[in-house]
Amino acid sequence: MWVKLARLKETTVRSDLVPMRWPETWQDGSKFDLLRGTPINCLVGDRPPELPLGELRFVRLDPASPPEGIVLVEGVWPHVKMARRDPNAAETGPTGAPWVDSNGWRIRLAQALNPDKTVWLTYMPPKQDEIVAPAAFALAVAEAEAYGAHWVITLEENFRRGLDEGTAEAVEAWRKIVAVLKLGASSADWRRFEPVAPLAVVSSFAGEAEFLSQEFLNLADRRGLAYAIVPSSRALEARLERYKAVIYIEPQPPEGPLRAKLLDFAASGGLLILPEPPAKATAVETSFGHRIYRHGKGRIAAPVEAWADPYLLAGDVHLLIGHRHDPMRVWNGGMMNTLYLASPDGSQGVVHIVNYSLRSTLDAVTLGFPRTYQSATVLTAESATPVQPVKRRLGIEFPLPPFSTYARIELRG
Amino acid sequence: MESKSLHRRNYSRRNFLAAATALPLVPPAKAAPETRVALARCQSYGPHLVPLLGKMFDQIGGLKKLVAGKTVAIKVNLTGAATVRLWYEPAETTYWTHPDVIGAAIYWFGRAGARRIRILESFAEGTKPLEEEMLVAGWEPADLLNAAPRVEMENTGFLGHGKRYHRLMVPNGGYIYPGFDLNHSYEECDVFVSIAKLKEHVTAGITGALKNLFGIAPCTIYGMAAGKDEPAAVPHGGRMMFHTGYRQPSRSAPQENDFTSPREEGYRVPRIVADLAAARPIHLSIVEGVETMTTGEGPWVAAGRSRKIHYVRPGVMIVGADPVATDAVAAAVMGFDPMAERGTPPFETCDSTLALAERHGLGTRDLARIEVVGEPIRNLVFPFRNYT
Repeated sequence: MWVKLARLKETTVRSDLVPMRWPETWQDGSKFDLLRGTPINCLVGDRPPELPLGELRFVRLDPASPPEGIVLVEGVWPHVKMARRDPNAAETGPTGAPWVDSNGWRIRLAQALNPDKTVWLTYMPPKQDEIVAPAAFALAVAEAEAYGAHWVITLEENFRRGLDEGTAEAVEAWRKIVAVLKLGASSADWRRFEPVAPLAVVSSFAGEAEFLSQEFLNLADRRGLAYAIVPSSRALEARLERYKAVIYIEPQPPEGPLRAKLLDFAASGGLLILPEPPAKATAVETSFGHRIYRHGKGRIAAPVEAWADPYLLAGDVHLLIGHRHDPMRVWNGGMMNTLYLASPDGSQGVVHIVNYSLRSTLDAVTLGFPRTYQSATVLTAESATPVQPVKRRLGIEFPLPPFSTYARIELRG
Repeated sequence: MESKSLHRRNYSRRNFLAAATALPLVPPAKAAPETRVALARCQSYGPHLVPLLGKMFDQIGGLKKLVAGKTVAIKVNLTGAATVRLWYEPAETTYWTHPDVIGAAIYWFGRAGARRIRILESFAEGTKPLEEEMLVAGWEPADLLNAAPRVEMENTGFLGHGKRYHRLMVPNGGYIYPGFDLNHSYEECDVFVSIAKLKEHVTAGITGALKNLFGIAPCTIYGMAAGKDEPAAVPHGGRMMFHTGYRQPSRSAPQENDFTSPREEGYRVPRIVADLAAARPIHLSIVEGVETMTTGEGPWVAAGRSRKIHYVRPGVMIVGADPVATDAVAAAVMGFDPMAERGTPPFETCDSTLALAERHGLGTRDLARIEVVGEPIRNLVFPFRNYT
C-alpha cells in the first residue's frame, strides 16, 4: 500500500517543495521523525524509500527531465578554498580577498533564464576522504535559501552516522539546518524584490559568451559589484533606465532592435559597455582598459584589447562605473557574499549575507548605504536583533551583531 | 697594525666581531642640527583641525618659504584595504590617515601658495585611483580635491600617469638597497610631505612619518608579482621581498647591496624604511594620533599576537620638518624611549628605525636636541603598552 501511495505522489510536483535526498540506508520509518516540524516536504532519489511517506512527496531527480516547476543546477560545494601551504589559512585570489566557491550567481542566472521556476542545487557533499564539518551543511542550505533556491539536502556518511548516534555536533548541525530553512521560508515578501544594482549584465550566457559572461558574474559577486542579470532574449522588455551602466557580453556587438535599445540607453545618459566601439566614433579618452566615446548624454566604452580575462573585465567595469554608485558597502565581509534587494517603491530593502568562513564573525561586519533607512532587523537562525543606523560621511551604516553562516537584514525606510 | 691596536684595548677577536656587527654598515653622518617639533592636544577630528594645523605650521617656521610656487607631494597612509576595519571603527580612526587631517594640511598648502598639490598612495592590488578607494572607505574625495586649488591624486603603485619610473638613489649607498625606481610623482615634486598615523608597527617598532614611506615603492617592481626583468604592468601582491628578501626587485631596478645580508624582517624592514627616506627626503612630517589603534599597523596584525588590539584616543598631533625628530617625539608620546635600541620597546624584535634613519643623516632622535613647541611631551604621554 505505501509503495502505491509513493508512486501516486511521485507525479505531484510543486515548486514550493523543499527537497532532501533520502539516505538509502535509512529504511526505518522512525527516521521521518527528523523531518517532523521542518519545512522539508519532499524526498528525492533514484527510487522512493520503502516507507509510508505520509504527507511527504517523492521526486525522482533526472537532469534530462527535471520535475515540473523546477530547474536543476548542479552547482559547487560552497566553501573558502584553504591554502595548500597552510590548511588553516584562506587561499586568496588575485583580488587579495579569500577565494570562495559559491553558487549565488549560478542561482540568480538560472532564475533569470527560468523566471517561473524554482532552482534546486543538486551538488553532492565532498568525498568521504575529506573531513566535512556538519556546520558546512548548514552553510550549503543557507546559501541556497539566501538566493531563493533550495539545495537538495544530502547528508554524507559521517553526518548521517552522527545523527544515528545522536552526537551533539550532528544534532546541533541538523537543528541549524532546520532553523535556516524556517528562516528562509519566513517573511517571503522579499522574493518579489529587485536587485539594487548600478549595472545590468546583458548576454545570452551561452555559446561563445558562456565562459566570460558567467565568470564575470562570479567575480563581480566577489568584488561587491552589484548587478542585475538580463538575458539577451528578454533585453528588449527590460527597464534599462534603472541602471547606471549596461554591459553587453558577447563576442560581437548587438544588432537590430537590441542595438537600438542599448544605444538609446547610452544616449539618455547611461554608460554602455560594448565588446567593440561604435562605427566612425572618435574616442575622447581611455580609462581602465577601455576607450570612451561620447554618445548623446551618455558614454560608450569599448575595450582597447578584446575582452579575455574576466577578472580584469570585472575590475575595469567596476572602475568605469565607479564606487560612487555602489548601492551598499560591506566592511569586514571578506569571506562573505551579499545580495541587496529592494521593494519596487524603495521603502523596504533586504540584504542577504552568506558567511563562508564557517565561523561566527570575529571582525564586526558593517553595512553602509548612501541613502536613509530608519531601522533594520538582523535575522539569523538564532535570533532577531534590531539595529539602529549610525550617520557617516556618505550616508548611514548599520553595525551588525556577530553571526555565523547567514544573516538576513530587513531594512525599513 | 689594526690587530695590535685592538689588543691594546683588550679586544678579543670575538669581541671585535660582535662589535663590528653592531656597527652601522654606513658611517654615521655628522651631528644633525637642532630642530623644532610642534606638539598639540587634539581630542577630535573636524573643522577645528584647520586652525590647529595652521598654528602648528607657524610654530615650526611657517609654510610659505617651503611651498610657495612649488609642487607639493603628500604621501598619506592608506595601508591595507578600505573594507577592513577594526571592529566597527572606520579605517581613518584606527589605521589610516584621517581625511580631516589631510584636508586641513592641503588647505594650508594652498593658502601658502603651493603651485600644485598631489596626494599619493599605492595599493598592492590593481591600478584603482585613490578616489575609488576613498569612496569604498566612505570618504568624499571631492572634499580633499577642493580643499585647495590644483589638487590631484595618484596611485603610485605602478607607472601611473608617468611614462617611466624615476630612479632615486640613497646618497650614502644604502643599508639594503642603493636606490629605488619609483613613480614619477616622487621625483616630480619640490616638497615632499609625509602624513602618517601614530601607530605601533610589528616589524618597524612604530609607524610614523618614516615608516609611511614603505608605501612609495611600487609593487610592480617590489611586490610579489613584480616582473622578473622589467616592472609588471599591474601590481599583484604586497612587498614581501622587503620583509624576507626572498627575491630581488625587477632587474631593471637597483638590486640589493649584499645578497648575503640577514633575511630577517626585523633587520630588513627598518633599514629599508631608512633607505627609502634617504632616497626620497621628507620636508614636512605630520603624525596624527587623534584616534588610532594599539599593537600594530592594522587590524590584520591581531592573529598570533600576545597583546590584544585596542582602539584608543591619544588626542595628539605632531608636526615637524625633521622626520626623525617628529617620529622621536611620536615615540615619546607613545611612552617609548626614542633612543631605545633593539631588544627594548618598541624595538623588541627589530632594529630601531629611528637610529638607522639618524645614521643616514636624516635627523635626530635625541629629545635633548629637539625643541618641542606647544604642549610639553609630559602632558600628552599616552603609554601604548599599558594596553595589553
